[in-house]
Amino acid sequence: MARFNAVDVVLWGLRIGVVAVVVVGTIGTLLHNRYTAAQWFDFVVFGLTIGSIYAQIALGYTMVYGVLRLINFAHGDIVMTGAFAGYFVATPLDRSGFLNSHPVLGMSAILAVAIVTSTSIAVLTERIAYRPFRRVVGLAPLICAIGVSFFLEQTFRGMFGSAVKSYPSPDWQRATFQLLGFNVPRVDVLVIGLALVFMAGLYLIVQRTRMGTAMRAVAEDGEAAALMGIDVNKVVVFTFVLGGTMAGIAGVFYAFVYKQVYFFMGFTPGIKAFGAAVLGGIGNIPGAMLGGFFLGMVESVGPTLFLDGIGIPAPYQLRDLIAFTLLIMVLIFRPQGLLGERMARKRA
Amino acid sequence: MRRAILIGLAFGAGAVHLAVVGVLLMLHQRMIIVDTLTLGQAVLLLIAGGAGAMAGRPLTGLIAGATAAVPIAVLTAVMSVVPLQSIFIALSPDLFGMLTLGQGLAAGIGILIGGGAIAGMLGAGWRISPFVVRRAIGPGAIAVLIAGVFQELIQLMLQQYEGPVGEFRDFLYTWEGLSPQGGITIFIIVAIASEVLGSILRRRAARIAAHDHRRERMVWAGFALLALVLLPAVAGSYVGQVLMLVGLYILMGMGLNLEVGLAGLLDLGFVAFFAVGAYTTALLTADSSHALAHLSYWEAMPIAVALSIMVGVLFGLPVLGVRGDYLAVATMGLGEIVRVIVQSDFAAPLLGGAQGILQIPKPRLGNFVLGNPVSLFYLTLVASAVAAFVAWRLENSRLGRAWMALRDDEDVAQALGINLVRSKLLAYGLGAAFAGLAGSIFATMLTSVYPSSFQLLISINVLALIIVGGMGSLPGVVLGSIALIGLPELLREFGEYRYLFYGAVLIVMMRLRPEGLWPSDVRQRELHAADETLALDAGADAVPAQTR
Amino acid sequence: MYRRLSGPMILAAAALLSIAYTASAATVGPVTDDLGVIRIAKGAPIQIGAYWVLSGADTALGLDEKRGVEIAFKDVGGKVLGHPLKLNAEDDGCNAEGGQTAATKLAANPQTAIVLGPACSSAATPGAPILWQQGVVDICTACTAPALTAATRKPEYAGFARTVFSDSEQGKADATYVHNVLKAQSVVTVHDGSPYAQQLQQVMADNFKQLGGKVLSQEAIAPTDVDMHPLLTRIASEKPDLIYFPVFTAAAAQILRQAKETPGLEHTKLMGGGSLLSADFIEAAGPSVVGFIIGYPDLSPEAMGKNYPKFVEDYKKDYGEAPISGYHANAYDGAMLAIKAIEKVGKTDKDGNLYIGRKALRDAVFDIKFEGISGPIACDPYGECSQFKPSVLEFTSADPKTFGIGKNPKKIWP
Repeated sequence: MARFNAVDVVLWGLRIGVVAVVVVGTIGTLLHNRYTAAQWFDFVVFGLTIGSIYAQIALGYTMVYGVLRLINFAHGDIVMTGAFAGYFVATPLDRSGFLNSHPVLGMSAILAVAIVTSTSIAVLTERIAYRPFRRVVGLAPLICAIGVSFFLEQTFRGMFGSAVKSYPSPDWQRATFQLLGFNVPRVDVLVIGLALVFMAGLYLIVQRTRMGTAMRAVAEDGEAAALMGIDVNKVVVFTFVLGGTMAGIAGVFYAFVYKQVYFFMGFTPGIKAFGAAVLGGIGNIPGAMLGGFFLGMVESVGPTLFLDGIGIPAPYQLRDLIAFTLLIMVLIFRPQGLLGERMARKRA
Repeated sequence: MRRAILIGLAFGAGAVHLAVVGVLLMLHQRMIIVDTLTLGQAVLLLIAGGAGAMAGRPLTGLIAGATAAVPIAVLTAVMSVVPLQSIFIALSPDLFGMLTLGQGLAAGIGILIGGGAIAGMLGAGWRISPFVVRRAIGPGAIAVLIAGVFQELIQLMLQQYEGPVGEFRDFLYTWEGLSPQGGITIFIIVAIASEVLGSILRRRAARIAAHDHRRERMVWAGFALLALVLLPAVAGSYVGQVLMLVGLYILMGMGLNLEVGLAGLLDLGFVAFFAVGAYTTALLTADSSHALAHLSYWEAMPIAVALSIMVGVLFGLPVLGVRGDYLAVATMGLGEIVRVIVQSDFAAPLLGGAQGILQIPKPRLGNFVLGNPVSLFYLTLVASAVAAFVAWRLENSRLGRAWMALRDDEDVAQALGINLVRSKLLAYGLGAAFAGLAGSIFATMLTSVYPSSFQLLISINVLALIIVGGMGSLPGVVLGSIALIGLPELLREFGEYRYLFYGAVLIVMMRLRPEGLWPSDVRQRELHAADETLALDAGADAVPAQTR
Repeated sequence: MYRRLSGPMILAAAALLSIAYTASAATVGPVTDDLGVIRIAKGAPIQIGAYWVLSGADTALGLDEKRGVEIAFKDVGGKVLGHPLKLNAEDDGCNAEGGQTAATKLAANPQTAIVLGPACSSAATPGAPILWQQGVVDICTACTAPALTAATRKPEYAGFARTVFSDSEQGKADATYVHNVLKAQSVVTVHDGSPYAQQLQQVMADNFKQLGGKVLSQEAIAPTDVDMHPLLTRIASEKPDLIYFPVFTAAAAQILRQAKETPGLEHTKLMGGGSLLSADFIEAAGPSVVGFIIGYPDLSPEAMGKNYPKFVEDYKKDYGEAPISGYHANAYDGAMLAIKAIEKVGKTDKDGNLYIGRKALRDAVFDIKFEGISGPIACDPYGECSQFKPSVLEFTSADPKTFGIGKNPKKIWP
C-alpha cells in the first residue's frame, strides 16, 4: 500500500503544479496589463476560429473510433488532401477574378472539389488499409494507420512538391466586421459560422437518419448490430464518408485562415484534434465539438495568459506544450472526457 | 479474361502512382546495367510481369501485362497534350522521354503496350514454369539487381584491393556501374551456386528431425550475424556508420520490446529517454560553456543511464492508470513535451536551446580513441550484446512472466497478486535504460546534440521496427532494424521517398504478416489462435482460445 | 541471442583495423606528404566530393550550389591536369546526422581528393572534422555560422575553409542598416529554433545594442508554426520600430502575411534574412511580400566579380532558369579554389599517374588568392576566404515568375 501513496503524491503534485502555473500566470499577465481589450478580443476570436476547425477534424476521429475502435492516424493527412484539392480550384478562380465577384459560387466550387477528394481518399484508405483489420486485435491496425499517414504525406509531396503554396486571399475575406465595438476579420466569422452550420448538419444526420442510427448502434455494440441485420461494412463506409467530408471542409477553412498549404500540414493539427476528441469524450459528437473549441481557445489564449505572466521568454515556442499538457491531463484524470463516454467500456 | 483486365488495371494504377509521385523518374536515374537497363525500366517490367504472374496463364498473362501498360500509356499521351507539369511537378519532359524511350509518342505507346504484353507473358510463364527453374532464376536476378543498384557501395568496399580481386572487380564494373558482361557473369555464377548450395541444404534438411530445424535456423542466424559483425572491419567506415545506426536502433528496440512486447505498455514517447541519455552525456562531458562537468565518457555513461531510468519511472507514474490506445497518445504527448522543452529558449541556459551542445569528446580507452565509426560500432555491439543478455534473462524471469500477465489482462494479473505499480514502473525504467544507453552513444558519435534530432519520428521508427521484426522476439528486433533502418540509410539517395516506401512497407507487412518477420513462438500462437477460433465457428469441439 | 563470439577477438580485430583508418604520413611516387598521398591512375577521374541539402523544403539552396560547381567544372573544360573531374554529391538534409553520414561516406572513399559544401552549418559541424581526420579539405559554400572560422576553433577544423561570409558580418551589417539608415530605435527579433536563425539574430541584437538601440525582446517560434497572431499581438503591445526575423520560408511567409493584419503593427517595418531569396518565398508570402526587405550580401554586378553576369548567362542556358537561390556564386568560387589548388600541388609521373599530397593541398587552398565571381577570394588562417559586402534587398512584385536577383528583389542599399 505504501507504493500507492507515492503514486498519489505524484498525481496530486501534477494537479497542483498545473493549477499553480495557470493561476499565477493569469494573475501575472493581468497585473502587467500590457494588452488592450481589443487584443484580448482578437485572441478569443482567433481561438474560436481555429477551435471550430479542430472541432471538425475531431468529429472525424471520434466517429471512426466509435465505430472501429481505431485511432485513424491518417485523418490529419486527409484534411491536407482536401486543402490541396481546394488550392488547385481556388488559385485559378482567384486569378481570373471570379472568386472576388462571385464569392458564394466560388467558395462552393472550392468546397465541393475538396470534399470529393478527401472523401474518396478516406473511403479508399478504409477499403485498402483498414477493412482487413476489422477483427484483429493488437497493434497491427495502429501501425498500418501510421503507414497510411506516411504514404499519403509522401504521395502528395511527390506530386506537388515540398514547397509551401499560398492560398489566395480575396478582398471580401480581408474586410472586417464591427462587433461589440471590436474589429473582427470577416474570414474568421465566416469560418466559425459555416463550421457551426456543417456540424449541426452532421449532428442531425447522426441523430435523425437511419444510417446515423445504424452508426450509433455499431458504435455501441458491433456484434449485436450485425445480428440485428445492420450491414456493418456499409456503416463503416458511411462513417468514413462523413468524417472525410468534415475533413475536407476543415482543410479548406484551415487553408483560408492560414493561407498556406503544404504536404505536412495535417499531421500536428490531426494529433491535437484527436486530443480534442478525447477531451470531449471519445465517441461523443457534441463532445468532440466542445473539445475542439476548448482546445482552440487554450492554444490561442494560453501562452499569453499563462506563460507570459510567469515570465517565460519566448512563450510561443511552448504553445504545443500547452496543448499536449492539456491532452495528458485529460487522459490521466478524466479519460472519459468532459461529456462522459457514451460507449461501452473502452479497450483496456 | 475480365479478371486479367482488372488485375492489369490495378497494377497499372500502381505504375501511374509511381510516375506521378516522381519515384519512377528517380529510379530511372539509377542504372542496373550501364546503358542497358535502369532501375526504373526494371520496375515497370516487374509491374507488368507481376500482373501477368497473377493472371496465371500465358494468354491471360499477356492481356494482363498489356492492360497494365494502358494507364501509363494514357498518362504519356495526356502529358504530351496537356501541360500538367504546372500541377503535377513530376510529369516532366524527362519522364516523357523515359516512358517513350526517347522515340516519340506513337512509337512510345507501342513500345509500352508491347513491352507490357511480353513482360506479362513472361511473368505468367515464370509462374507456371517448374519449380526448379524458378528457384534458379530468382537468386540470380536478385544478385544482379543488388550488384547493379549498390554498385557504388560495392566498389567502395572493393576499392582497396589490387591483384586478382581488383582485376575481377574491373571486369564486372566500369566507373559508372555494372557492365553488361558483369551482369551476365553474376547471374550465371549465382544461379549455379544457389542451385548447388540449395540442393546440399535440402538434403541436409531432409535428414534433420522437425524440432531440430529450429536449432538449425539459429545456427545459420548465428553465422549470418557473425558475418554482419565482421563486415565493417572489412568493408570500411561508411558501412560501419550505417551498421552503428542500426545497432543503436537495435538497442532502443530491445528497450521498447520490454515495454510493448512483454508488458503491453504502448509507449510512443520513447524518444524522450533517448534524449535524456544524449543530453546527460553532453552536459557531463562536453568541452563547452554549457557543460556542468568534464567527466570522461565512461564516467558519464552510467550516470546517463541512471538518469534515464529515473525519467522513465517519472513518466510512468502519472500514466499508470491509462490503458491501451490512450496510453499511446499520452506517452506521445509526454515525448513531444520533452522535445519542445529541449528546443525552447526557456530551457536554453541549461540545455543550449537551438544551438545544441557541441564539442562532445569521443570515448578513450587509455591511449586509444574510439574515433571512427568502426570502433564506435563495436562499442555499440558490446552494449547491444549486454542489453540482449539482460533482456533475454528478464524475459524468462518472474518479472518477465509478470509482465506478460500484465499484458494479457491487468485485472486478472492484479487479482493473482502481481504488484501492478512495481511491474509497470520497472518496465518503463528498464526500457528507458536501454534508450538512455543508446542516446549516450549517439551523443558521442555525433560529437554534438541538436534538439532537432529528437523527433516523434524516432519513437515511431522504433515501434515500427519491433512490430515488423516481430514483437517480443530478440532476433526480430535485429531483423526489423536492418530492414527499416539499415536499408533506408543505404538508399539515402532516394531522399525523402524512402518514407513513401516505408509507409508502403508498413501497410503491406501488417496485411500479409502481422506477426512480424521473426516472431516469437508465443506471439505466433496467439495471433493465429484467434484465426483458429474464427474458423472453427460454433462447433461442439471448439477449443477455447484466448481472445486477446 | 545465441552468438558464439569471444569478446577479446572482437576487440582485437577492431583495434587492428581502426588504426588503419586515419591519415598518416606517406611517400607515394614523387610526392611525400605528412597526411598521405592520393594516387590517381592514368585516365581515372579526380573525385571531388560534395554534400548539400538536396531534398526537402530547402532543396533550392543545395541544388543551386551544385549547379554552380558544375558550371565551374565546365569552365575548366571538365579536366584538370589531364584527368576528368567527377562530382560525388551526397544529400545531407541540412541536419547534423545527415552531415555526418554524408561526410563519413565521402571520407570512406580514399579517392576523395577534396570536398565542397555543405549548405547548412549544422551539417558542417560534425562533417568537417570527419573529413579532416582523413586529411580531406572541406570548402564550404553556404555555411555561415561564425564559430566555424573563429580564431577559437578547434584543431579538427583545420581543414575547413569557406568561400562564403560569416554571419558575424551579416548580423553586424544588418544592425548597422537598421540603426543608422532606417533610424529605428527599438527592435524585436524572432528566430525559429534553427541554429542559423538563432545565432544570426543574436549577433544582430548584440550589435544593435552596442550602437545604442534597444532590443525589446527576443522571441522564438517553431519552423512549422502557422498561427502567428498571438505572437504578433504580443509584439504589437511592445511597439517596436522593426521586427527582425531571419527565419526560413514557411514561417517567414506566415509572419509577413499576418503582420499586415495585426492591429498595432501597421507601421512597423519588417526585415528578413538570407534564407528567403527564392521564388518559393514569393509564392508563399503572396501580395504581402511587396516592399519587404531582407539583408543579404551584395549580389549586384558592380559588387560581384566581373565574370558574374557571364556566369548567370551560362546558368540560364544550361538549366533553363535563372539561379534559384543565393549561393551559386560562392559555390562556383569554392570549386575554382579547389581546382586551382589541385593544379598547384598535383604532380604527374612519367606514366601519367597523378599524385596529390593532402597537406600540401590544404596549404594551397589557404594560400591561393584570386578574383572570384562573388568577390576576391583570399583565405585568412582560420578559413574565412570571402570578403563580405553588405546590402539590403527589397521585393517589388508578388508574382513568383518575376523572381530575379537584382530585379525582384532589387537592391536598395547601399
